[in-house]
Amino acid sequence: MNNAIEISTLEDKKLPGDLAMWFFILAELTVFAIFFISFAVTEQLNPEMFSQGKAQLHPVAGLINTLALITSSFFVALALNAIHQGKRKVSVSWLITAQAFAILYLIVKMWEYQSLFNVGISLETNTFFTLYFLITAFHFLHVILGMIILSYITFRTYKGAYRSNVSGFEAGASYWHMVDLLWIILFPLIYVI
Amino acid sequence: MSRKQIIISWLSLIVLTFISVLANDFIDNFQLFIIVVMLIVFIKGQQIVDTFMELKTAPTFWRLLLISYTLLIPLIISIIYLM
Repeated sequence: MNNAIEISTLEDKKLPGDLAMWFFILAELTVFAIFFISFAVTEQLNPEMFSQGKAQLHPVAGLINTLALITSSFFVALALNAIHQGKRKVSVSWLITAQAFAILYLIVKMWEYQSLFNVGISLETNTFFTLYFLITAFHFLHVILGMIILSYITFRTYKGAYRSNVSGFEAGASYWHMVDLLWIILFPLIYVI
Repeated sequence: MSRKQIIISWLSLIVLTFISVLANDFIDNFQLFIIVVMLIVFIKGQQIVDTFMELKTAPTFWRLLLISYTLLIPLIISIIYLM
């Protein structure tokens, strides 16, 4: 009886999505880890420059973007929950809502870049802004890739492709949550500390 | 993951975000401020990994791998700022 329970527990422990996506996620997390550590080390070497640089950023924009990505991730999690229960139309609605919040992130980020460009700040201004633009723009590109994946999942869900196997849905959702996870670290590092 | 768990995680992520932003106004000690903000990063990361990524019910190796990322990165950042 106990053996049966143990075997059942082992079988229940399934990795969401597919293994290839998880290796891709690990690779992405590693690249960003190098960025995060580089940023912190460079800040310790140039405290005055980083303090002045951070003062020119827009913390409210960073906060709005944090809330937008967390909420977008929340709706993707709800969409996956709905598809597990066979609620296809509900899942599509949550996915579209998630993408609306992702668009909000893109708009706020572009506004922030534009406002910095308007006062003459660019990638070449100093080491702080070089790192700021490199890290945030690299993350921005990941958001766009995530949105492409979410759009594909939305289309497939609408077409009823995830009736028996939701592995593709889970893989795409995991990627989107990774984008959120990275911002959770990036936000305090650049805007709060 | 249940709908209720997802909602609780989302609310906790929102509340923790505001706490980390407001921490600067309430904590004068820089060392303590760094520890609080990075601890919040770890808790938020753990919520995303366990609830949103659904790794709470995944094989232990994968769950620990992702959880260790959310622990190690804030820990390394904390050490760099506290040195």
